[in-house]
Amino acid sequence: MKSLIHFDRSWHEPFFKRIKDDGPWSKAEHFSLAYLAAKERIVPNFRGLIAPSQLPQLTLHPHQVETARMVIEEMHGKAILADEVGLGKTIEAGLIIKEYMIRELVKKVLILVPASLVHQWVSELNTKFYIPAVAQRKTYVWSQCDIVVSSIDTAKREPHRKLVRQQNYDLIIIDEAHKLKNHKTKNYQFVQSLKKKFCLLLTATPIQNRVNEIFYLVSLLKPGYLGDAENFSKNYKSGERNVKNEAKLKTLVNQVMVRNRREDTGLNWPKRIIKSFDIPFTAEEQAFYDRLALLKQNEMIQPFTLLTLQREACSSREAVFVTLNKIYKKTASPMNEYLWHDIFEKLNRINQNAKAEKVLELISQINDKVIIFTEYRATQLYLQWFLKKNGISSVPFSGGFRKNKKDWMRMLFQNKVQVLVATEAGGEGINLQFASHLINYDLPWNPMRIEQRIGRIHRLGQKNDVHIYNLATRGTVESHILHLLYNKIHLFEQVVGELDKILTHIDLKNVERQVSRIFEESDSDGEIKIKLDNLTSVINFEQQQLAKEEKHESSGNS
Amino acid sequence: MNQAEIRDFLERFFTSSDCTVLSPKNDPHFKVKLTKQMDKLLMNRPFYWHYIEQTRQKAETAVLAFKFDDRTEDGELIHFGSPRLHQIFHVTEELGRYIRLYQIIPYQQSSALEPWIGINMKVSYQCDLKKERLTSIGLQLINGTLIEGFQTMLTRLRLNQKLPDYCYTLKPLITIQSGIRRIEQYIESEINAESSKWAEEAKKRWEKDQSLLDSFYEHRAEKPERYDLEKQALEAQYKPYIHIQLINAGLFYLNSATFLPNTVKTR
Repeated sequence: MKSLIHFDRSWHEPFFKRIKDDGPWSKAEHFSLAYLAAKERIVPNFRGLIAPSQLPQLTLHPHQVETARMVIEEMHGKAILADEVGLGKTIEAGLIIKEYMIRELVKKVLILVPASLVHQWVSELNTKFYIPAVAQRKTYVWSQCDIVVSSIDTAKREPHRKLVRQQNYDLIIIDEAHKLKNHKTKNYQFVQSLKKKFCLLLTATPIQNRVNEIFYLVSLLKPGYLGDAENFSKNYKSGERNVKNEAKLKTLVNQVMVRNRREDTGLNWPKRIIKSFDIPFTAEEQAFYDRLALLKQNEMIQPFTLLTLQREACSSREAVFVTLNKIYKKTASPMNEYLWHDIFEKLNRINQNAKAEKVLELISQINDKVIIFTEYRATQLYLQWFLKKNGISSVPFSGGFRKNKKDWMRMLFQNKVQVLVATEAGGEGINLQFASHLINYDLPWNPMRIEQRIGRIHRLGQKNDVHIYNLATRGTVESHILHLLYNKIHLFEQVVGELDKILTHIDLKNVERQVSRIFEESDSDGEIKIKLDNLTSVINFEQQQLAKEEKHESSGNS
Repeated sequence: MNQAEIRDFLERFFTSSDCTVLSPKNDPHFKVKLTKQMDKLLMNRPFYWHYIEQTRQKAETAVLAFKFDDRTEDGELIHFGSPRLHQIFHVTEELGRYIRLYQIIPYQQSSALEPWIGINMKVSYQCDLKKERLTSIGLQLINGTLIEGFQTMLTRLRLNQKLPDYCYTLKPLITIQSGIRRIEQYIESEINAESSKWAEEAKKRWEKDQSLLDSFYEHRAEKPERYDLEKQALEAQYKPYIHIQLINAGLFYLNSATFLPNTVKTR
C-alpha cells in the first residue's frame, strides 16, 4: 500500500516563508471557516450520489438518478446511454458530469454533439447543473477551457483535430452516437484516437440493423469487451443480419448499456387527446379555391405550383396572395388578363377565414395557454392581427429568431399572453411543456414536422394531458392528407421519436416529396386514395415489425 | 449544509472580512457591502479596478444580496450547490491557509506557552471511485505529543493573534520540518492499518479491462498507437492511490495543561 500514498508538499515553502517573515497570517475566523468549508464538501463514501443534493432546483426522476449511479458505480464510467427519446438522456449525462466534478474525478470534458444542439447543451449544463460548459468558437478554447461542447465535424477538422488530440480528457461524451456505427468513417476513427478515461455514448437507437454496429459501438467504449472483430463474427454472427448466441450477447451488452423505457420508468405520461376538425370553406373561399385549377388548365403553372397554391389557400388569403402575386408578375399578359382579373376579384371577395373563426372559438373554449402552428409566415401575421382584433394578445415565434429573441418570446408566452403563434418547431427546439394545448392550424406534408411540434409540449415535465387540435379544410388536399395519411398511420398518437426510426428503417426520409408526387401524378381522388393507402400500409407494416422487435428485446433483457 | 447554516457561514465570513452587513438578522435577504479586497476577490471585474486605480477615482464597491428561498423576491438565490457559495468557499480556503495563534490563559496560571504545529489535511482515496476524509493533527514541538481532532480541540480554547503580555513562549526542541514528518508518518501508519480492499478491487477491474484490451490487439504483430492510448487511459481510470492535501496549517502556542491529557494519542 505504501507506494500508493502521495503527500502534496507544495505548501511547505509558503508556510516556512511566513514563519521566517513573521507573517502575513490569516485571521482566526478565516482559519476556522476554511476548515468548515472543507469539511462540508468532503466526499464521505465511494458510493452514492452527491450531485442531486446540490441541485435543489432540478427535478430529477428516479430512473435518471439510478442511471447515473449505475454508470458510475457499476459500469465504471464507460457506458452507452440508450434511453428512449424524451426520458432525459442529457439530464443523465449532466448528472454524471456533475457527480464526477464534485468528486474531482473529472476536470477536462469534451462533449461532441450535432451542430444544431451545441447551444442547447451549453445552456442546459450552465443553467440546470451550474457546469461552466462553453461552446467551442475559437481555437484557444480547446486548451483553455475545461468543459467544451462542439460538433464532431468541427472537432475532427484541422486545425482543431490536432489540438483536440493533444488534450487529456477525463470524460468524453458523444451525443447521437449511433452515427458512429461504421468503423471505417473519419468520425469513428477520430473518436477512437482520443484519450478517454471515462466515456458516455448517447443514442436513442442503439441496436439497428446490423449486429456489427453494436460491436463497433461497444469497441469504441471498451475494446476487446466483445472480442476482436473476427471472434465476434464467429461467436455471435450468422450471416449479415442475424445473431446467434443472442442471450449471451444481450447479457454482455447490458453490462455496458442503460436503456430506460417509458413503460418501465413508472412515470405517469400525460395522455394525448386529439380532435380533428373538418372545416368547410366559406362560399367566397370555396369559389376562389376552385378557380385556382384554371391556372393549371391554361398551362400557366405546373402541377406542383398548383398544389402549393392550394395548400396556401387552405391556410389563409394572405399566404396564397404572396405566391399568386409572384406568378402574376411573371405570366401576366393581355391574353390572360380576364383570368387573373377573375382570380384576384374572387380573392378580394374573401372577407372571412373559416379556420381563423374556428381558432377563435377554440381559444375561448380552452381558456388556457395555446400554441398555434402554421406553415406560413403570412398566416402567422394574419392570425396575430385577427386575434388582436378580437381582443386576444399573442406572441410570434419563428425558427429564424435569434436565441435571445426565442427566450424572450417564450418568457412572454409563459408569463403574459395566452397565445403563441409559431411557424417552425424543429431545429434548435424550445421546450414549451408549460402549455398543453396545440392547434395545428394547417398541416405540413412532412409528418416529422408534426412530430416535432407535438414534441415541444409532450415531453418530460408536462403535467397535464396534451390536447391537439387539427384543422383541415373540407374537400381539399389538406383533408386528404389528414384522413388518408396521418390518421391512418396514427401519427398523432405516436410516441415522439418512433416515426424517425420507422422512416429511417424503410429509407423514406423524404415523405413530403413522395406525397407531393402522389398528388401531382394522380388524375382522380380515387387514384390519390389508392396511392396514399399503399404508403400507409408500408409505414404501418414497419411500425408493427419494430414493435415486435422492441417487445422481443425487452423480454430478452429481463 | 442547510440554508440557515449557509446564512451563518456567510455572516461569519463577511463580518470577519470587514465587510458591512446591511440587512438585519431576521431579514429574508442577506445584504452585504464589500470591501475593496472582497470586491476584487469575488466580483471578477479587473478592468473596473484597473481603471479606478489608474484614474485615482473613488471606488464604489459592490453590494451582494442573497436570498435563501424561491419565495423571496430579488437577490441571488444561494444554496449548497450554487457557484457563488463555492467561490466563497474557495476564497475562504485561500484566506485561511496559514495561521499563528496564542492561547489566552487565566492570569494566575503558569504563563509559559508551548509550541504546537497543527495541520488539517484531506485524505483522498481514489481509483475510478473516490472517498475522502479529513484529519486534523496537532504535534507538540517539545516532547512530541500528538493529538488527533486538533481543530475541534482548538474551538474550546480562547486564542489570540498576539502573545498576551504576561506570557512567554517555550523554545521548540523539534523543528517544524521534522514535526511535519512525524505527522506524515502518523498518517501513513494509520492508512496502513486500514483495509485496502477498495484498492485491490480496483486493481482487479483494471487487470480485467487490460486483458480485454490485450486480447483485442492480440493478433497484431505491431500494436497501433491506439493501444498505448487505451492502456494509459485504463491506468488513469483505475489505478488506486491515496492523495493527501493540505487544507490549512498553523503554529499554536498553548498551555497543554488546559486541554491534555484526555486527548493524548501517542507520545
